[in-house]
Amino acid sequence: MVKYADIIEIVAPGEAQAGSRVDITMKVKNIYFSPIGIMAGGALEYGVSPWPGISFAEPSANVNGGETHSFSGYFIMPDKKVTIHAYSYCYGADGSWHFDDEMTRAVNLADEVESQFGSIEIVSYVRR
Amino acid sequence: MGAIYLPSQYGLLLIPLAAVQVKPGDKLRVTCQYSHLGKAENQTLYAAIGNSGWAGFDEVLHASKTISVPEDASWSYREDYVDIAITTAISAGFYDIYAKIGGTIPKVISPALMDVVEVLAEIPESQFGEMSITGYAKV
Repeated sequence: MVKYADIIEIVAPGEAQAGSRVDITMKVKNIYFSPIGIMAGGALEYGVSPWPGISFAEPSANVNGGETHSFSGYFIMPDKKVTIHAYSYCYGADGSWHFDDEMTRAVNLADEVESQFGSIEIVSYVRR
Repeated sequence: MGAIYLPSQYGLLLIPLAAVQVKPGDKLRVTCQYSHLGKAENQTLYAAIGNSGWAGFDEVLHASKTISVPEDASWSYREDYVDIAITTAISAGFYDIYAKIGGTIPKVISPALMDVVEVLAEIPESQFGEMSITGYAKV
């Protein structure tokens, strides 16, 4: 199968706290000589089936030959380590999206910060 | 009247603090601002009236309540208050106050505010001591 695009990077934090929003950027390069339509997709692997998807604000774009496009997406961190599976699809002459490339990246579960108090001061005292 | 010293470019700056007058039967609402980071938890907010000295704070009256502190991903400032009931257990005079979060081993303790509470003497119940006729005339 002819490959038209390369996922060159998944930008994501190395760890995140459970329940927090994790922003990711998927960089896809058009390795074809002319503009093509590229669509980003993603799913999270952490032991549940089917794999939950990743939301991309603008999942598709027309990308000129040789250029790289960044797709921004996010997901909510589950309570265990996840593996991001990023996919790229190319728009074909048949009017369909065709799977093109895949990359993975792990996001570890960050430890929760224990509760701590830094300071306290009395700001008012009034008779009631 | 109480006061607090603050560092400034001119040296220590004396900020006078107004004293609040209370008497038995009143409540003193002590509002505190504290900073928090991390998991949510329930903690005890505690405040006391008494006398601060070299050996610590000699408490006369105190009150506490449980506060629910939400999770804070970064250092956050929050406010809450506790009401101290003024009873006859405290005699008239000027007193200091302080507050803390936590139980026997406090998580954090505030600086004491000196002489900011003036407890007034209890006003006696209405009573009559003696009576005499001071005049009598035809009207």
